[in-house]
Amino acid sequence: MSYNTPNISLPKFTYYKADNLTDALSLLKQYNGNARVLAGGIELFKQMRQRLIVPEHIIDIKGIEELRKIDVTDRGIEIGPAVTAVELQKSQIIRDKCPPLFKAAAFMGDRILQNSVTIGGNLTSGLPCTEGVPALMSMDSVLEVRSAERSRILPVSDLVLNIRKTTLNSDEIITKIIVPYNGGLSGGYLKLLNASEMAVANVAVALFSAKRKLRMAIGAVSVKPYYFDESTLGWKWNEPIEENIRVALNAIGSTIQPMAYNRVASAEYRGEIAKVLAARALKELFRGA
Amino acid sequence: MRTIILTVNGLSKEVSVNDNEVLLNVLRDKLGVTSVKAACWKGECGLCTVLLNGLPVKSCMTLAVEADGKEVITAEGLYSDERAKKLQESFVKHGALQCGFCTPAFIVASHHVLSKEPDIDGEDLKKELSGITCRCGTYYQIYDAVKDARKYYKKDH
Ligand SMILES: Cc1cc2nc3c(=O)[nH]c(=O)nc-3n(C[C@H](O)[C@H](O)[C@H](O)COP(=O)(O)OP(=O)(O)OC[C@H]3O[C@@H](n4cnc5c(N)ncnc54)[C@H](O)[C@@H]3O)c2cc1C
Ligand code: FES
Ligand code: FES
Repeated sequence: MSYNTPNISLPKFTYYKADNLTDALSLLKQYNGNARVLAGGIELFKQMRQRLIVPEHIIDIKGIEELRKIDVTDRGIEIGPAVTAVELQKSQIIRDKCPPLFKAAAFMGDRILQNSVTIGGNLTSGLPCTEGVPALMSMDSVLEVRSAERSRILPVSDLVLNIRKTTLNSDEIITKIIVPYNGGLSGGYLKLLNASEMAVANVAVALFSAKRKLRMAIGAVSVKPYYFDESTLGWKWNEPIEENIRVALNAIGSTIQPMAYNRVASAEYRGEIAKVLAARALKELFRGA
Repeated sequence: MRTIILTVNGLSKEVSVNDNEVLLNVLRDKLGVTSVKAACWKGECGLCTVLLNGLPVKSCMTLAVEADGKEVITAEGLYSDERAKKLQESFVKHGALQCGFCTPAFIVASHHVLSKEPDIDGEDLKKELSGITCRCGTYYQIYDAVKDARKYYKKDH
């Protein structure tokens, strides 16, 4: 084989196709520390080709039916982690009830990759530029996380620790993404890419009009997204929008600490763009309101 | 090694593969399907794009074992499709290639796009094809060729 060089070949492993969650969790437990979950593979195989990780056991969860569903329940909108970016964009439920995620899914890699990329893999990649974390944070979403022994609820805002580092334990799988609102939510998602298509900043906004809740998450500017609500934005419901936006931009400017990353953008530029996108997202959000 | 079954361009093939082999290697080296190109091995260039159960995927990022039991279509398999044949003729007519290295991937992806959205235009078409790189820069000729072939994909044609 002519491809036996790093960056091209994948290290050796054994592949398991799990058809139910119990099997997947027990395999993960059995090989704990030496196994990885496979969803779309787009980030996993990249890391394995670079030999950043060399798991000997790969557990494919895409065949597990319950991880591929989108449901409306009394908890809110429940999304299976193996739902792909294309499926998110085709779902009427996501379009109507989770607009920041609906719009964000269109940025999760190019249209061809979007047939493979899953929302669970996108979250767990822990890359600063990915869309899933800020989009779901703006809707106060939580994750149902399971291991063979137990189940816990983890707010999306507590998932990412650092670049490619998350708070998931090595025997855990994200089994559900729960958006705790069922309707009455409007929202948007904006992103600026530089000329080589790397993210400068992402901004997700969500407005729960009946509850007078406003949320914003700003991604890509630092290792993990920043979260704002009406109080940290200094939002006053009886003030004019323009004044509110002015105050909000000041709050954003004094909170975020943008980083220069991968020669994508300077810290100053990132900070400015985050504010420009935030202002634009808020204007669009309140245009109809 | 394990034996998997792939339906490649309509023909059922039994092939033994290692778990860590990607579909791209198996198609090119074990099945001789060489329209599928290898270049970046990172999911970036899109030159390895094939249809897997009807959806375009990058075969450098897909394990052969993941494709077990599934249907794979490449440019070779599209030559028997009347519409895709016209699409390929349209690429020739519009000079939508220079070296031709990217052409099979663009044919596969644009065939998929036209099959589901025969009226596609403008920015939407560019977005749909944005996962494939043409180093020779024939993008505008490609867009023209695809747009010109839309008529063959409409129901009334
Ligand atoms: C050229 C290129 C450009 C891209 N641009 C963007 C972009 O602009 N924005 C964007 O958002 N994304 C982008 N992506 C995609 C993004 O970088 C990730 O590769 C992708 O989201 C990973 O999803 P996946 O389903 O393929 O995950 P996988 O690669 O299968 O998994 C990633 C990680 O998550 C773990 N994992 C997967 N599912 C679960 C689960 N349910 N529970 C626990 N752990 C799990 C895996 O073990 C692995 O460690 C781009 C990718 C490429 C190649
Ligand atoms: S070789 Fe697969 S995307 Fe470049
Ligand atoms: S024609 Fe040469 S890469 Fe496209």
